[in-house]
Amino acid sequence: MADRVGEVSVDVEGRWYRAIGSRIWALFNSLKLTIFVLISLALVSIIGTVIQQNQPVETYLSEYGERWTRIIFLLRLNDMYHSWWFLLLLTLLVLNVVVCTIERFPPKWKALLKENKGTAKPEIIERLSNKDVFTVDAQPAEVKARLLGIFKKRRYRVRTFEEKDGVSIYAWKGISGRFGADVTHVSLLVILLGAIIGNIYGYNDFRIVYEGGSMSVPQADFQLRLDRFWIDYYDTGQIKQYNSLLTVIEDGKEVFKKHIWVNEPLLYKGIRFYQSSYGMAWDRVKEAQVALKRKDREELDPPVTIKWGELKKIPDSEYSVRIVGYVADFAFDERTKTVFSKSADANNPALKVEVYRGDELVSTPWLFFKYPGLFSTIPDSGDDIVFTAFRPTLFSGISINKDPGTNIVWLGTGIMGLGFILAFFVHHRRVWVSVRDARNSSEIRIGGTVNKDRFTFEREFEELLKEIKATLPATGKGEVGR
Amino acid sequence: MILSLLFFTFSLAFYCITAVFYILYWLFKKRWIGQIATSMAYIALLSTTMILITRAGESGHAPFSNLYESMILFVWITNIGYLIMEHKYRYRVMGAFVMIIEVIAMLSTSLLPYRFKSVEPLNPALQSKWKWLVSLLEPVGMEKYAIGWLDFHVFTTFVGYAAFAISFGLSIMYLIKSRYESDGIRNILVERFPDSRILDELSYKSIAWGFPFLAVGIVSGAIWANNTWGAYWSWDPKETWSLITWFVYAAYLHARITRGWSGKRAAYLSIVGFLCVIFLYWGVSFILPGLHAYA
Repeated sequence: MADRVGEVSVDVEGRWYRAIGSRIWALFNSLKLTIFVLISLALVSIIGTVIQQNQPVETYLSEYGERWTRIIFLLRLNDMYHSWWFLLLLTLLVLNVVVCTIERFPPKWKALLKENKGTAKPEIIERLSNKDVFTVDAQPAEVKARLLGIFKKRRYRVRTFEEKDGVSIYAWKGISGRFGADVTHVSLLVILLGAIIGNIYGYNDFRIVYEGGSMSVPQADFQLRLDRFWIDYYDTGQIKQYNSLLTVIEDGKEVFKKHIWVNEPLLYKGIRFYQSSYGMAWDRVKEAQVALKRKDREELDPPVTIKWGELKKIPDSEYSVRIVGYVADFAFDERTKTVFSKSADANNPALKVEVYRGDELVSTPWLFFKYPGLFSTIPDSGDDIVFTAFRPTLFSGISINKDPGTNIVWLGTGIMGLGFILAFFVHHRRVWVSVRDARNSSEIRIGGTVNKDRFTFEREFEELLKEIKATLPATGKGEVGR
Repeated sequence: MILSLLFFTFSLAFYCITAVFYILYWLFKKRWIGQIATSMAYIALLSTTMILITRAGESGHAPFSNLYESMILFVWITNIGYLIMEHKYRYRVMGAFVMIIEVIAMLSTSLLPYRFKSVEPLNPALQSKWKWLVSLLEPVGMEKYAIGWLDFHVFTTFVGYAAFAISFGLSIMYLIKSRYESDGIRNILVERFPDSRILDELSYKSIAWGFPFLAVGIVSGAIWANNTWGAYWSWDPKETWSLITWFVYAAYLHARITRGWSGKRAAYLSIVGFLCVIFLYWGVSFILPGLHAYA
């Protein structure tokens, strides 16, 4: 068996690609690479916080000029966290983590399994930085019993070995702390996995939905209806919260309702809906007020409130009015002869109505909120309809987000938490004691070590020694008394 | 508003006095000066606690919703962290360095424009409360004191910042001490520093607290962002800088166990890390626009 291992290793060294392979392996096994990659990631990440990300090309042109914009796009600095070189750095980190774990975890695991069998040889104790040798006035058996009590009180796990001239004790605790780094490294991989899954299978979208209206959901077989949108205010007038009442509709049936606000999304079938913005519709109103201005009269009649689409009779007159159109910022395209809204803001609100005299449609004028009486609205009568007020239809801006990787990311962060607890707060403490029979007394040789936080352990070790010396009278004291 | 500002003025004075006594202790090494310094640190802590309490009473929410309030939280946690360390390890000279940081923090807070100091109701995005806590507090009519992921996020992040601040002070002491040690120059003031080995170890211990707390802060922020912005990570400048800081401290932790990188280089990384914290905290808030526009 041993010979065959030798043959294989000769073979490995003989081939050039194996040699390169082992070089690369060694590179990924080095902590210096880790430091290099971490610092590089830190440095290049700064770029993305200085150069705005994912903006249209015009933004970069106006800010940096043509030459720099070219460079920005060439190096993908406009979306650098998804650029090939940033992903390459992340890949290096992943390979580094994987190789380090493969190299370090199995031997550590084996060594720790074996460790329980280790005896407290005096040579081992000699090599430790925390150690002491002293003699006590007691038989090894009694010393052993006392020591086991002390270790038990300190929650050490203990193994004892009877030997021909005494006894050896090995005590340890916090062995799981050894695996903190490994657990943390695995958690990092899990988080990255979740991020990758989210990038591949997830999507982001944005919809606006009018009160009373419905919206379709991408890649899903259900719809959402906005029942109500409203804003809560503080007493001071500052905005407290934006709210939407949403109903999930599946196969034409209402499934359930949910009140969402800025911190409270709706989750349905793995898709989340967030309150993201709101606004006034530019192409419709909830209701409007119009007033009749009679021929040869200065004052208007009392205004009448009309709902969108409703036909309403104006009291004490032969007219009825129906709202059929609205634009927030009226404009007219000469070429196509169509009305459009220049912006979404109510800069020049205009209402299109149908005016009936009795049952006969007499005109369909545009009424201007800001310019009453600009055009005659009812031909050949001298009467006029004036647009006096309106209640806008509100819409709610809903962000849609599907990210099946999210739960994997949370799982990863949970593992990371566990890893941190093990890595930073659980220390692997080991204490070896060798008790040798020295006629009526015992010689105690004790040594301890810890894998991190030596400073605290030094104090613990001193306290341990103090306690041992207090419970077991030292021979020196007896001599003084004599 | 008035009460919390009054306590702020007191605290500022207390921290100045505390720092002066720690420095005097360092210069003259008199036991009684050290005892006064420590007592002053406790008084300053009490006063800072009162700022936070009165502030919470005035605003009706956990007192960490803007830059001013979070700075006080930072000063408060740093002070607690330092006092725990002094109590455990009994090296008062470190107090001079930590308290100078505290005074600088308090002074810069007092220089903030008024709009940062005023009590503001929470804007829509900042209202996140744990439902289980709300339902727990509701029967006793205290649901308005419920906290949520956001408060948790701010608190854990600032435990991280405070730990990094302490380790920054210790790393500077380490660099001074190790330079004198390696050059063999004797200086009575530097000799009063703890051993460079101890400074290194304590600096590590501090980061060993800060690093996981910053991670918890980032993750709880991500949970909040996932509920508010619709994504757990958006590469917002604040998020990115927190990750940069985290990378630097991760590099520190790996450097410490690497031959040729432990000691001085690790100490430099700890200092760079804290400079990142300062930029993450103040720089990003004032220079880089982003979603994280609260503090």
